[in-house]
Amino acid sequence: MKEHNIERNTQTTTSKSHEKRCGICTCFIVPSSVLERFASDKKLTDDERKCFADASKFEKEWRKARIAHANFSRSAQSILPSLATAGVAAVPPAILVDNCAHGTTLPGTPVPSPGTSADVTAKRAFVETTEVAKFYQAVFGRNSVDNAGMRLLSSIHYSVKYNNAFWNGNQMTYGDGDGNIFVDFTKSNDVIGHELTHGVTQFSAGLAYANQAGGLNESMSDVFGSMFRQWRASQDVTRADWLIGKEIMGPGAIARGFACLRDMSNPAASHCMAPQPTKFPQYHDGMDPHESSGIPNFAFYKAAIAIGGKSWEKAGKIWYQALTGFAPSPNMKMSVFAKRTRTLAASLFPTQPAVKIAVDKAWTAVGL
Amino acid sequence: MAILHIEKLGGLANFGGAHARIRSRGQFDTEALSARELQAVDSLFDSPSVSQTPVVADGFRFRISRITAVGTETVEVPESRVPQALASCVKDEFV
Repeated sequence: MKEHNIERNTQTTTSKSHEKRCGICTCFIVPSSVLERFASDKKLTDDERKCFADASKFEKEWRKARIAHANFSRSAQSILPSLATAGVAAVPPAILVDNCAHGTTLPGTPVPSPGTSADVTAKRAFVETTEVAKFYQAVFGRNSVDNAGMRLLSSIHYSVKYNNAFWNGNQMTYGDGDGNIFVDFTKSNDVIGHELTHGVTQFSAGLAYANQAGGLNESMSDVFGSMFRQWRASQDVTRADWLIGKEIMGPGAIARGFACLRDMSNPAASHCMAPQPTKFPQYHDGMDPHESSGIPNFAFYKAAIAIGGKSWEKAGKIWYQALTGFAPSPNMKMSVFAKRTRTLAASLFPTQPAVKIAVDKAWTAVGL
Repeated sequence: MAILHIEKLGGLANFGGAHARIRSRGQFDTEALSARELQAVDSLFDSPSVSQTPVVADGFRFRISRITAVGTETVEVPESRVPQALASCVKDEFV
């Protein structure tokens, strides 16, 4: 735990000192070319130009660090299984919660002892993130999103009436919702599982966020988010509701008949706030990942239902291995992922041919 | 000075998606921007090639249009590049 605290303090200090010097830019997203252009813009003051020059240097170093982290994670994934075999227990990840206090500067201010905080959002973010880490460890033997014990940081109360949650490559961020369309985004534990799974995808298949790979990326987050929700409730596939974002629907949304963001069992349903296609022929490049993900979501649902039992025991293991058991494949096509799961269904469950048949039929049903 | 037409897209709920039941739109008069903010807006239109792919999973994108002497210019950029004044002018609503 001490090591995690040192890591956190180092990162916070770096971030805060940089913000202090550079309060007018967002270092992690603005491209170098833009920062460099501002750094030489004569219309800006000397201090402002220096700020952008510093930001440009920081941005390059940060990108290097992120690549190094991904490489480290892959090395750890090849080494840690042997440690586990030798009886060396993995250190669980540190779970941290920061409070943005309705600002937009990340990560915000650390919440002391979030697990016992009077702020229900902080407590919920801590408890459910801890449970997601336990889920990945207990079911798949994965130690945090990078499988190397990466600390899991959640920023809460982001912005004002913010109707979103996101993963920025390093951490989760949750808005409080506007109180009408949405309420607090930490209220649906599948949303927390969804955001953390973006981290798992980042450190495994490395799926891009556009076209077919983007749809797969979003689908992995919905699939494992829903699976986590079912695991928390010890539900089998027939008791699960397969809804994404049920508990973040605000009173205005409920009054209009919306039950969820998405429904994996019926992606095109009218009770979804964002209905999705259900068959691959409906897919086209440029489609938003949250739309195209309906196709692989529906395939997972159909496979899990046909296999029966608890989704994480068979279908989940097949999908997890297809996501994490291969070299990174940023531009993966849906047909490639489908082929992987068909092959894995046979190799992971060689004495249960019904599993392979279920997976095969599920993909065929969605046109893949 | 110009009127900017702004739409917030994507996010976990897929605002503005083809079949989505929620959207978020607004307008903004650039006259209300500071010189620095105006420069930030110009930079969005000057570097559209870097704005196509969001790097934040579930992050919002903003589609911003303005009318110039040569016609309507439209760019789509991640939320992090949008000045706060513009980002806060959109209103989330049911379709």
